[in-house]
Amino acid sequence: MSFLFPADSSDRAQTRDGRNVDEKLGALQGEGAHQDIRRARIDSAFPLPEAGRGEKTAPTLQGGATPDYYGQPLLKETVWTWMIPAYFFVGGLAGASSAFGGAVQLFGGGKLKRLERQLRWVGAAGDMASAALLIADLGRPARFLNMLRVFRPTSPMNVGTWILSGSGACNTVSALLASQERGPLKRIGDAASLGAGVLGVPLAGYTAVLLSNTAVPVWQHARRSLPLLFTASSVSCAGALMQLLPGHSPAERRAVRLFAAAGMLAELAAGVLLEREAHLASGSGLPAATDPVAKPLHHGASGALWKAAKVLTVGALALTVMPQRRRTTRFTAGALGLAAGLCTRFAIFHAGKKSARDPQASFQAQRAGMGAAELAEAPRSFRLLVLR
Amino acid sequence: MGDKGFFTDTTVCIGCKACEVACKEWNQLPDDGFHFTGMSYDNTGHLGASTWRHVAFVERPAPLQQQDSGLGNFSWLLHSDVCKHCERAGCLEACPTGAIVRTEFGSVYVQPDVCNGCGYCVSACPFGVIDRRADDGRAWKCTLCYDRLKDDQTPACAKACPTSSIQFGDLAELRERAQERVEKLHEGGVTDAYLYGESAASQPGTAGLHAFFLLVDKPEVYNLPPDPVVPTAKSKEAWRSMGLAGLGLAALAVGAALFGRAGGGA
Repeated sequence: MSFLFPADSSDRAQTRDGRNVDEKLGALQGEGAHQDIRRARIDSAFPLPEAGRGEKTAPTLQGGATPDYYGQPLLKETVWTWMIPAYFFVGGLAGASSAFGGAVQLFGGGKLKRLERQLRWVGAAGDMASAALLIADLGRPARFLNMLRVFRPTSPMNVGTWILSGSGACNTVSALLASQERGPLKRIGDAASLGAGVLGVPLAGYTAVLLSNTAVPVWQHARRSLPLLFTASSVSCAGALMQLLPGHSPAERRAVRLFAAAGMLAELAAGVLLEREAHLASGSGLPAATDPVAKPLHHGASGALWKAAKVLTVGALALTVMPQRRRTTRFTAGALGLAAGLCTRFAIFHAGKKSARDPQASFQAQRAGMGAAELAEAPRSFRLLVLR
Repeated sequence: MGDKGFFTDTTVCIGCKACEVACKEWNQLPDDGFHFTGMSYDNTGHLGASTWRHVAFVERPAPLQQQDSGLGNFSWLLHSDVCKHCERAGCLEACPTGAIVRTEFGSVYVQPDVCNGCGYCVSACPFGVIDRRADDGRAWKCTLCYDRLKDDQTPACAKACPTSSIQFGDLAELRERAQERVEKLHEGGVTDAYLYGESAASQPGTAGLHAFFLLVDKPEVYNLPPDPVVPTAKSKEAWRSMGLAGLGLAALAVGAALFGRAGGGA
């Protein structure tokens, strides 16, 4: 390759990696020397936020809003792609399905066999898809196992990885042994299904803790209601998917219907709570649509997705509780429910992106006493549990 | 060893950006492209994966104590920003791989050979410091020149600073020196001068910064949060809420199974 990039041209060296170090004279050994630069144009690796493109060339002064620095974001926007909200959806669906499956096995009295088998397979497939999405979104996918080199209770992502790994193992065993009618293999399969059921409960909602454990205002300030929303949405999605699947007995349809309807109702209620919680955070006293923390839930793509989620959930709920339902009604209810769950996750995700871009959301909420002041006592410093 | 850190006195910063350049050179960081932002003389914009020092230029028609430009209310504030190496660090507590560690110098360090680029630290930092480089795939930030500290050297930015705006040293000593500087400024008529994040008492959310600042206006003016908090300090409520929701889910699952079994006949 040396004929392509002659070492004597310092201009070439610059376009190559942006360091301008002549390798004949200097060794690349600095702390940042191993940052891989693969982009042909370095500019694109360092996009300036909109305010940095000459839209705002004077700092915001006092008066009305708190001041800021040329409208520049205070926080970094999340680097996650669509795969992470997609994981929130699939992982939650798998978690709630596993929990339902475990309960059906224990308390179904042998009358809900087909449903139980379907729930096991949905749990297993969902966990697999979740792992694939999470690994693909890593900056260094080959190092995904590093997630399991420590157990760190302060990191919801670490805790969640352990939950997902355990759930995946249990669900795989339980699905593979789902057709066993008797003997030790059936007992192993049943035990695995119960294990997956227990792990499915946190799997359905921990992703909300993961989001709220960030500096992003709309996520952090919705930390009490977000786990309720995500768990409820996971339940309603699991119920919705089961309405899509064929071959259920009347007893199974009854169980699925109650599960789905309760989930959808809870999702609507949690959504109301979340809007309230986010709105109160900034102490702005402004209507929600202009409040710096709650704004992303009312404007732009995130606002539209949030509204769509609510409408779709109402539709799915109405079709789920409707008496004398035909197959097509069940099918439509299921499709609407799943679409609602997707919209919920993407709405919250994009609201967070928007919230991180708005410095006023952080500034005003913290000025209103929602920063560290919110904690009655000074935060306790505790040693991190790091197992090597 | 003991805890080392930075005291950045913004009142003597002249905006020469020698710290930015020294940081890039010593750490052999790639350039970020050559942008024109239109924001005063700040064409760097913000800290990032390959920008570990950033000089902010606050140029505005606002009066400041003891600053007279002869142009009415016009004034300058200059501020060299850096990773704060918080006593309780959001990035460190969020890191799921243990790639982010506390060093023997009390600084917060990302091990590039462990980081798998999950991006969680990026959203967990209340100062928006750490970032993931898209093409490299890992998270990067100021290392407090870990390689230089191991050889008893001053970090590159502090070494290059021509006005001692960036001072490096033992944290305890820096705090004393900073306190003296504030008193001196108060005597000289700059009564607005204060220390940002020098102790757990002044910034309980981070339990104090290892890189703290002397400022003369609201933190927001310098793009610093007024009351930052490590997100983990608030996560207990979220876990509790999740527990509640989980109980609801378990009860509903059992209830639905019993309900299905009781009816339907088949």
